[in-house]
Amino acid sequence: MTSSTKAPTLEEFRARAALTGLVLTEEDIGHLHKGYVGLLGLMERIPQQWAWAAEPPHVFRADE
Amino acid sequence: MTDLTTLGIAEAGRLMARGDLTSTALTEAFLTRIAAVDHKIASYITVMTDEARNAARQADREMAGGVRRSPLHGIPLALKDIYETAGVRTTGHSHLKADYVPAIDAASVRRLKEAGAVILGKLGTHEFANGAMTPDQPFPPVLNPWNPKYQPGGSSSGSGAAVAAALCMGAMGSDTGGSIRNPAGYCATAGIKPTYGLVSRCGIFPLAFSLDTAGPLAWTTEDCALILGALADHDPNDQASAKAPAVDYGAAAQRSIKGMRIALARSWYEGPDGELSPDMASGMDDAVRVLRDLGAIVDEVSFPDIRDYHICGRVIITTEAHAIHRRDIIERPEKFGYTTRRRFQLGAFISAEQYLSALRFRRKLHQDTREAMRGYDLVMTANHWGAPEIFEEPQTIFHFLGKPSLTMPFNVTGQPAATVCCGFSADGLPLAFQLAGRAFDEASVFAAGAAYERATPWRSRRPTL
Repeated sequence: MTSSTKAPTLEEFRARAALTGLVLTEEDIGHLHKGYVGLLGLMERIPQQWAWAAEPPHVFRADE
Repeated sequence: MTDLTTLGIAEAGRLMARGDLTSTALTEAFLTRIAAVDHKIASYITVMTDEARNAARQADREMAGGVRRSPLHGIPLALKDIYETAGVRTTGHSHLKADYVPAIDAASVRRLKEAGAVILGKLGTHEFANGAMTPDQPFPPVLNPWNPKYQPGGSSSGSGAAVAAALCMGAMGSDTGGSIRNPAGYCATAGIKPTYGLVSRCGIFPLAFSLDTAGPLAWTTEDCALILGALADHDPNDQASAKAPAVDYGAAAQRSIKGMRIALARSWYEGPDGELSPDMASGMDDAVRVLRDLGAIVDEVSFPDIRDYHICGRVIITTEAHAIHRRDIIERPEKFGYTTRRRFQLGAFISAEQYLSALRFRRKLHQDTREAMRGYDLVMTANHWGAPEIFEEPQTIFHFLGKPSLTMPFNVTGQPAATVCCGFSADGLPLAFQLAGRAFDEASVFAAGAAYERATPWRSRRPTL
């Protein structure tokens, strides 16, 4: 993926969590860190390079 | 007369049309059975006894006068408890909505009522169609009627369990990443996720706008076809609603499949992330043989990697679900179950760039899938990996970290996809496969699913409660 490829440490994640506006317990942060790092690993499958004008579907239509 | 609660919708309709059965008798049979056995599986949150009796009486009056609204006239159905119902609480299986009583029906509920259906009640669900069954929720977890030690699948858990246990003739579910097909598969019912945009979501609690679909579960594919026939229509109040031509799905379910071309996505369930349980693998091979015996041409075809669909859909769901529930997650986090809360919180950490990359990837997967399907009518693949989770085991907070979802591809592409039971494991747990059609070609899906069911004995086996 893009700029967020590197998995954050728990400390880095905690600092980022403080900016989200969420009310989080330490247990929440532990679970979320594990989930985010796992998600980030899976996201490596999403291509990093797109044509700059590659347009995502604004409202997806299955019959396009 | 045989047990009324195990009649098919088409058969019950024929009996009512001949005057050999009343909707009142049928409805009372279901209400009696719900009272007698639902405590064993907890599929209902709310039973609408008075409303159901009134609707059944009205249906009987109309049919006695020669009025036949649709194949659903007088048929008892139930709703996942994320469908808004006028004057009846709609909880989302959550403390947040435990006392919420909508003023009007969801568009799909209105259509079912206009078709003459009798609504029996509201069914348990994973919280807001995304969480899991956890003990901190206001209603008990729905149990699997085939073995209550096991989960029934979700998120339309009550819908799958109630249909399998003969506690309604069909039920509405919703499917954003597999939430109709998972419980259908684990409970041995039929179920269809329609093409994105075919059925209005107006008045249904959203999970992820760009993936949410609404559809039925029933004991047979034919019954699903009859229910979908009452639901498919353009709704200007749903921004994703399509203007698709009307199709007689009930007739489609009677079609021959001789010469139909089916692309088998075997690599999805024999890939690097795991293999099916031996029973499921055997069930899949047998199902392929049956479809070939019926005259279909089944070829193995190469599709994009299953993990690509899995992560694409998961990023979109996580982000959109967070946007929908953000305010409550900030102001009242304690009201959510502990699994639901973390799943909704996670979206706060996904950047706009990551979300847009997933959307761009979705378009690519849609195009690549369509290309792989060129020359084929349907895609066939497994519905689930093996046995469902056991309740006693700790619930996974982030389930997507396990094996990739076999149902997600058709949420990402928007195609219609049905679940068809293909037998039972040695432990007596259901096996199932999926059939997916081109966008808005539910007719081919119903034709193949119904033909398979007629050719196999699995629809004659019910759980014992």
